[in-house]
Amino acid sequence: MSDLALKTEKLDKFFKLGKREVRALSDVNLEIKKGDFVSIMGPSGSGKTTLLNVLGCLDKPTHGTVYLDGINVTEVPEKALYKTRKHKVGFVFQTFNLMPWLNAVENVELPMEGTKKSKEEIQKRARELLKMVGLSQRVEHRPHKLSAGEQQRVAIARALANNPAIVLADEPTGNLDAKTKYEIVRLLGKLNTDQGTTIIMVTHDRQVGSRASRMLFLNDGRLLKKERKGSHFMQLTCSHCGKEIRADDTFCAGCGKKL
Amino acid sequence: MLCKNSLGDKFGSNSEKFFYSKRDVESNLAHVQKVKTLGVFTRALRNVSRRKIRVLLVVFALSLSMAILVSIPAGIMANQEAAEELKANYESYLGDIEEEIEQAYTLLEVTYISGGFLGGGGSFPEGDGSFPEGGGGFPGGGGGRRPGFFRGENFLNESLVLEIEVLEGADAVIPFFEKTEGTNQTITTPFGMSVEMLVPDYTIVGVVLDNEIINYYNVLPNTILEGRNLEDGDTGVVLLSLNSTDYFGAGVGDQVDILGNTFTVVGIYDETDILGLNRVYMSLSEAQAITDIEGQITSIDVYAADESIINQLALEISALDENITISTYETRLSGIELRAEMAEENLELAEATLSQTQALAYQEIGIAVVATCLIVLFTMLYTVRERTQEIGVLKAIGFSNGNIMSQFMLEGIIISAIAGLVGVAIGTIAAPILSTALLQPVTGNSIPETSFAGRQVNIPGLSLSATAAIPSVELLLLAFIGAVFLGALGTLYPAWRASRTSPMEALRHE
Repeated sequence: MSDLALKTEKLDKFFKLGKREVRALSDVNLEIKKGDFVSIMGPSGSGKTTLLNVLGCLDKPTHGTVYLDGINVTEVPEKALYKTRKHKVGFVFQTFNLMPWLNAVENVELPMEGTKKSKEEIQKRARELLKMVGLSQRVEHRPHKLSAGEQQRVAIARALANNPAIVLADEPTGNLDAKTKYEIVRLLGKLNTDQGTTIIMVTHDRQVGSRASRMLFLNDGRLLKKERKGSHFMQLTCSHCGKEIRADDTFCAGCGKKL
Repeated sequence: MLCKNSLGDKFGSNSEKFFYSKRDVESNLAHVQKVKTLGVFTRALRNVSRRKIRVLLVVFALSLSMAILVSIPAGIMANQEAAEELKANYESYLGDIEEEIEQAYTLLEVTYISGGFLGGGGSFPEGDGSFPEGGGGFPGGGGGRRPGFFRGENFLNESLVLEIEVLEGADAVIPFFEKTEGTNQTITTPFGMSVEMLVPDYTIVGVVLDNEIINYYNVLPNTILEGRNLEDGDTGVVLLSLNSTDYFGAGVGDQVDILGNTFTVVGIYDETDILGLNRVYMSLSEAQAITDIEGQITSIDVYAADESIINQLALEISALDENITISTYETRLSGIELRAEMAEENLELAEATLSQTQALAYQEIGIAVVATCLIVLFTMLYTVRERTQEIGVLKAIGFSNGNIMSQFMLEGIIISAIAGLVGVAIGTIAAPILSTALLQPVTGNSIPETSFAGRQVNIPGLSLSATAAIPSVELLLLAFIGAVFLGALGTLYPAWRASRTSPMEALRHE
């Protein structure tokens, strides 16, 4: 179990919709090793976000067990789950979810509040992380002064603040344009390869999903047996004509439109 | 763990360098200006300040409530204080009279029928001068001759003293003389009418300076502050009341000029007369001489040998002159009862007004308290609802229920504290106006003795005119603490609700 960052056993999650019971997850058995970069793909309503919520201790499964960094989190009382979320999980959201009234560095400092770190350590760590994600010059900018890509980088830095066992990214590129999408996926890939951060990324974008080292498929709440190895490669295409483009292109060579 | 990127970059060489060595980071950080890590309080302050208009409106509404909460208790306290004072004054007033009456059980007071300031005749003996001034009370109390208003304008013939002396059972017959000197002044009334009035400067009191009288009957003041009292056979000397020393500008041993005659001041007594008249005591004969009213007196005190003959003696005296009125223990007692009744009524009226005012005030306070709580409650509920997603994010990144709750509590308390400060400031300035607007001022009717010559004479302590509400420091402090407490109370439910929000649902909230 020691090399596993995450393990689930017979995970079920039901929701009640009036008198009807909806099965969001069904018998999900998953093993994710430390240092894995896993993408979970599937169509809308397949249960991707529900799975991520359960894995991130935001929601409890109806049945089954989740082991996070060796801890059976399904047995952790609701009131104490925040500690697991604080120290074991880092969240990256589609809509970034930064605090608008805090600047970049303050947003990154936020999860470290209440930890054993001193103020100086927190500050230093937050700045290190921002530097790591390429925002050393933007530390005191508030979210509205940052581009979407920059905001997502701040969110990634925030997710890494407490050096979590896993980073859960829920459609991290869903709100980004093609170029920024590429940068963010590349950043996540680098975090995984260089720092050994375990990343679970939920996406319905095949290109983005293929950047992970493992691709899992979810359909109707069930994890499909098929699993692919990712290519660590993502080809950018023009959103207007579909032609392949380079990351530093400003205009599409095919249709000539601005990217 | 940090190491320079060694992974082959497949996307061009000009892409940004993402990873740095630890040394790189540290050396760069040394040049970065230090930014303070945010604490819960600073974050709460920022949250409050980012919704300025809402906070301003809330602060405005709350501070008004707080100003009311400051003003009403201040008003109540002022009213209570005034009512207490009124009660104490009435009680001491009645006590003084009762004491007086008890001490002069066998006394018959003989005055001119229209003498005294009420001129009410025999059936209403207050007018004859049993008015209880503290220091100058007769024959006990502060001692000295009881005062009257301009009693000197109605005189009795001194021969009446001899006529009474021969009556059986008249143990002691003591004549008094009083004459008020003043200047005529024209006073314009608020309605524009001009009235010419005598404004008193001082009152000359003439007393028989005979050891048989002054040793056994308390006819002179007994509150000597300086010098000595008048003595048997004194001539050319006067005893001044303390308040008259300013008028005459003289002290013990000094000479004063009274109606063109020079007198030496032998003593000064403590005049606690609430009417504040300046009095000058001298021998009866000199008083008559300098005022040019020879053979005339203003009143006679007759002491009966036995209480069983009081009524008989009164009848006999009244038969001597049709222009006199006599008050006995009984008539004075009934007068006292009447006055006591009036005082009681007055007190009851004041107390009724006070309790009515207090009931209304408590309602107003209750409304203000509930309004304050509701304002905070709804504002914070709205804020919590508006920030649901934020709550979800905070929970997702590891904030506990307690963290979330304390965050919102703190914000509510900060808003309430600001409102409390503003409210206390408004309350301090506007308390007199607000309390007057919100409370019915407690006023007691002036008792009859305070009416003279058709105008109201305000005797301090025996009537209440206004409610001066000035909030005390303790009250202001209490109001501020109250504001914070009410703010906390109003925030409790929204904060609790925020803390119980499911992070998953909160994140889904738009």
